[in-house]
Amino acid sequence: MTLKECYMALGGDYDEVLARLRSEKMVQKFVLKFLNDKSYELLETSMETKNYEEAFRAAHTIKGVCQNLSFTKLYESSSRLTENLRSGYGEKTDSLVSQVAEDYKQTITAIKELQGENPV
Amino acid sequence: MSLNSNEKRSPRQTILIADDSEMNRSILTDMLGDEYEIIEAENGVEAVSILQKYGNAISLLLLDIVMPQMDGFGVLTVMNQHRWIEDIPVIVISSESASTHVERAYELGVTEFISRPFDALILHRRVVNTILLYAKQKRLIDLVADQIYEKEQQSGLMVDILSHIVEFRNGESGQHVLHIRTLTELLLRYLSNKDETCQLSRSEIALICTASALHDIGKISIPGEILNKPGRLTKEEFDTMKTHTLVGAEMLKALPMHQEHPLVKTAYEICRWHHERYDGRGYPDGLKGDEIPISAQVVALADVYDALTSERVYKKAFPHDVAVNMILNGECGQFNPLLMECLKEMGGILEEELHSDSRARTNQRQIQNIAEEMLRHEELSASERTLQLLEHERMKYSFFADMSEEIQFEYTTNPSMVTLSSYGAKKLGLEEILMEPHQDKRIQEMLGEGTLKTLSEQLRNTTPENPQVKVDHEILINGERRWMRTIGRAMWSADEPPKYMGAIGKTTDIHDERTRIDALVQMASHDSLTGLFNHNYAKQRIKDKLEKRPGATFALAIFDLDYFKQANDNYGHMFGDKVLIHTADQLRRSIRGEDIPARVGGDEFLIFLEYKDEGETAIRRIFNSLEGTYEDFQISISMGVARTTIVGTDYDELFHAADQALYAVKRAGRGEYAFYNNTMKEMLSVISPIDGSEER
Repeated sequence: MTLKECYMALGGDYDEVLARLRSEKMVQKFVLKFLNDKSYELLETSMETKNYEEAFRAAHTIKGVCQNLSFTKLYESSSRLTENLRSGYGEKTDSLVSQVAEDYKQTITAIKELQGENPV
Repeated sequence: MSLNSNEKRSPRQTILIADDSEMNRSILTDMLGDEYEIIEAENGVEAVSILQKYGNAISLLLLDIVMPQMDGFGVLTVMNQHRWIEDIPVIVISSESASTHVERAYELGVTEFISRPFDALILHRRVVNTILLYAKQKRLIDLVADQIYEKEQQSGLMVDILSHIVEFRNGESGQHVLHIRTLTELLLRYLSNKDETCQLSRSEIALICTASALHDIGKISIPGEILNKPGRLTKEEFDTMKTHTLVGAEMLKALPMHQEHPLVKTAYEICRWHHERYDGRGYPDGLKGDEIPISAQVVALADVYDALTSERVYKKAFPHDVAVNMILNGECGQFNPLLMECLKEMGGILEEELHSDSRARTNQRQIQNIAEEMLRHEELSASERTLQLLEHERMKYSFFADMSEEIQFEYTTNPSMVTLSSYGAKKLGLEEILMEPHQDKRIQEMLGEGTLKTLSEQLRNTTPENPQVKVDHEILINGERRWMRTIGRAMWSADEPPKYMGAIGKTTDIHDERTRIDALVQMASHDSLTGLFNHNYAKQRIKDKLEKRPGATFALAIFDLDYFKQANDNYGHMFGDKVLIHTADQLRRSIRGEDIPARVGGDEFLIFLEYKDEGETAIRRIFNSLEGTYEDFQISISMGVARTTIVGTDYDELFHAADQALYAVKRAGRGEYAFYNNTMKEMLSVISPIDGSEER
């Protein structure tokens, strides 16, 4: 799987990210690094402990990272969740969280496949 | 500015990246790390503490808005409070693109607001431009500062040259002017601290010191034969000599410009009136008391002191003590009594400062060193050099802090923040940086609110001259209470009046030392066998009580064990000791906390207590609880009691009376107690040497 194919699999915009960050090598490095990012775990645990302020910050971080990497799909769902959590827990929160979970899984799966072919 | 000067830019510039996402930080580091030093902060608090620590050594801050503990706006607010925002440019990078956010960030003084997702090239260009722009501005500021510095140096130099010309004619060493300046500064500073009505600001003191160099410029008009005459001056010659005051003043008055300048005005006062005396017997105007400006009064005193302690064509140098005594005795005319007090209290300070190594010369040497250093490193301006020195100091400090087993701390009031040395943080189980330490539950628990309050109050009650405090207190670490000693130094600003800025200090563990001292105190005050007080210590405590509450009714009881010698003889000394310990335990159990029990010696004990009604009830209760058996031994006691109502409040008399009452009991057949009354006055005593030796 090429980096471009990985982007297609996770619902991202490869051309856009390459235009912004200017180097395929750098993009690949940070895409792989995304696997180690702890923000999603933080989102999960803070939802469990009902710490919605922390959940907001975690969603916000995911959103920012996805923006940097042009992970469009995960960016959109995390962005909606961020706006929802900005005013605290609401009735839509849970369904938005599960959307983020689904997109996150899709993203991770694609990146792991890329990683399998590009062992560090 | 040419490109050339950019290439000369010596060490790499430093960018601080504050973002809670490690991913985001490392993307930025990747983009900028080749050209710049990068420091990372993962929240606002950390960012603030790094800014606090590195100051202007940070060339740019890349700031995220949404962060835990303190967000980007918080950081900007602190930067505004400290005016760091004026020196350190900030670029905000955020995915918060709401216009209110952008607006607020700009209002707080950020240079750029970049939204995510950003274009690597554009971000890079903006970072470079911002740093260049600020560096340029900073260089210009430094340039101006260096020039002002140089100008001040030059004008100081001009004053020195001018006054040296006068001295040169005078055949003096050239030290006189420097001495006068040093003495004037020391006296004025001391006076300022001593007396509130004479308080002068730093700049006023500096002004008088500079002007003091001109005190003798009038001597330029005095003929050389008179100036340098080795013998005594005739009256005419002396009258001529005296004119140097008026001539100096007129020279200044005749200056075509700068008449309103404070330096000229002060120099005028000094020239004209530095030979006036407090009682009006000086010259040229015969001014009295505080008609003489304080500047002239101080220079006059400095002049006299230096003349006495230096060698002149007509005299030898007097030692410091002799000179001061001569001045105090009025041999050089009368001075302001307040200044006389200063002179007395300052003692050897004057001498040390003048002779150890002339301060003025030291300063000159320092300036010379700096100048040479600057010549060698052309590209280094004075302020950059200062930064390097600071960096060096910081390294040194953190090295020694890590080596010593002390909890070192630095506290600032604004922002309210404590920074701990890494050893300290580890020892206490806290982070190295703590915001709002007063509100921190863990600190409150460790120190207790009382200690925290004491420390903070004591520090705030210090003065800039005397900023140190020492507090011994307990601290709770890992569930264990330990005694610690905290030595702190309050930091005061240079403002008038000074403001409390925080404190630095260290806390050391003195638990073992203190425990040892407590044990020694225990040993010195207690009987080792029974654990009761010993006689000496009990006597001290009883005397204190008698003195503190002379109106109260007290009783002093002395008792001993009947037939104790037989117990020793029949069962051995070990058994005898056990009986004594048992009796002491019984005694402890039968009295109240404020009563004083003691072992006087041998089998004799003492109780001191306060009583109501006649004291009969209390004594009977104690007496009864002491009687009984220990193993096979029947414990019987005899007790004599003396009351303050009868005997008075002198300890020795009370003791003697109780002793006599005890003797009466013994004589009547033992196993009883008796209160002293006047019929017993002539009785023998049990404890005194003429003791009827029936038992011993």
